[in-house]
Amino acid sequence: MEALALVSPARAVSSAEALPEVARAAGGDVRAFEELYRRHLPRVHSLVRRMTGGRDADELTQDVFVRVWQKLGTFRGDSSFTTWLHRLAVNVVIERFRSDQARRARLHDGEQIFETLAGPPQTVDLGMDFEAALEKLPDGAREIFVLHDVEGHKHHEIATLLEISAGTSKAQLHRARMMLRKHLK
Amino acid sequence: MTDPWTDRLSEYLDGDLDPAEHAAIERHLASCDGCTTTLAELRDVVARAAALPARPPASDLWPAVEPRLDPVKSVVTAFPPRVTRRVSFTLPQLVAAGLALMVMSAGGMWVLQHGGPATEMPKVDATNEAPPAALPVSSVDPHYDEAIADLEQALAAGRSQLDPGTIKILESNLGAIDNAIAQSRQALASDPANVYLHSHLAEARQRKLALLRRGISLLDGKS
Repeated sequence: MEALALVSPARAVSSAEALPEVARAAGGDVRAFEELYRRHLPRVHSLVRRMTGGRDADELTQDVFVRVWQKLGTFRGDSSFTTWLHRLAVNVVIERFRSDQARRARLHDGEQIFETLAGPPQTVDLGMDFEAALEKLPDGAREIFVLHDVEGHKHHEIATLLEISAGTSKAQLHRARMMLRKHLK
Repeated sequence: MTDPWTDRLSEYLDGDLDPAEHAAIERHLASCDGCTTTLAELRDVVARAAALPARPPASDLWPAVEPRLDPVKSVVTAFPPRVTRRVSFTLPQLVAAGLALMVMSAGGMWVLQHGGPATEMPKVDATNEAPPAALPVSSVDPHYDEAIADLEQALAAGRSQLDPGTIKILESNLGAIDNAIAQSRQALASDPANVYLHSHLAEARQRKLALLRRGISLLDGKS
């Protein structure tokens, strides 16, 4: 699969880098890798969960960390480890998407789903309400919204990842925002 | 009827419009309360997305991940040297040891080939004693080759724990020793009874063993 050619997702580097653990894990130290796993699990799982709408999020997150273990030897430090890890996680999810033809078809629907979102939130936990609203978005709109507005990717990067045009990415992003806006009113 | 500018609000928000479109939509926003309200709501959505906290899964996934980790990992060939410096072996020490080793090996072989102290050593009476080199070199210590192989394997497995500079010097020194061993063996092939060659070979082999053990001790100090 084509590597994602992004440079620096806006919010990619926030946690402290754990380069000694990365070096030890790259040498086959499972305990060091477990430290990396525990440090990065919340962000990786959140990314996977949001992109997939919660479906198979645990299984895909496991796949991400197994892939990280396999690929650690190729990490050259050209980007931060966090950026590298999240790029790899996105690629794992996208690979799953590509194997799901029905999901790909849904990238181009959306209008009829505008009205399927629930109404305004009933609780005070706005974060959870927003997450719940996110899960209800149609697949294509949600994937693009997460990649752009949550993970900080650019439209041309998303277009490459999802094999769509930048125009489609922009249109789906706007749809997602408009649906979420209705939900938050 | 839908305002045609509404569909361009996200692009406006993201700065994706060209200058002419940007100016046009700003003129429109100045007179359209609906679009101004929608734009504010879109800003809220974007802000919410950026502020979403990371949450872990409901249950720990490590028990499912760990069994899938292949224990046989390939040797790491590329890793940023700036990541860490883990050795207590100083570079000057290793350089000095390497130079001394090469001088000793080269000097020994030169002396052997050009005469000198070696020619003054007592000759071995080949008629009364079986020539030492008639036996395979490894027969001097049948466990030597096995020990060397084990140490080399252990060092290769922990290679990534060492600083690249240290690895380079270790490999350089080991190469010099291997070269000395090879030269001794080659010389012994034509002069199997030469005591000096045997001692030179034994010494080189001993140095290799010591250097490998030193490398392993560096690894042990890091585990």
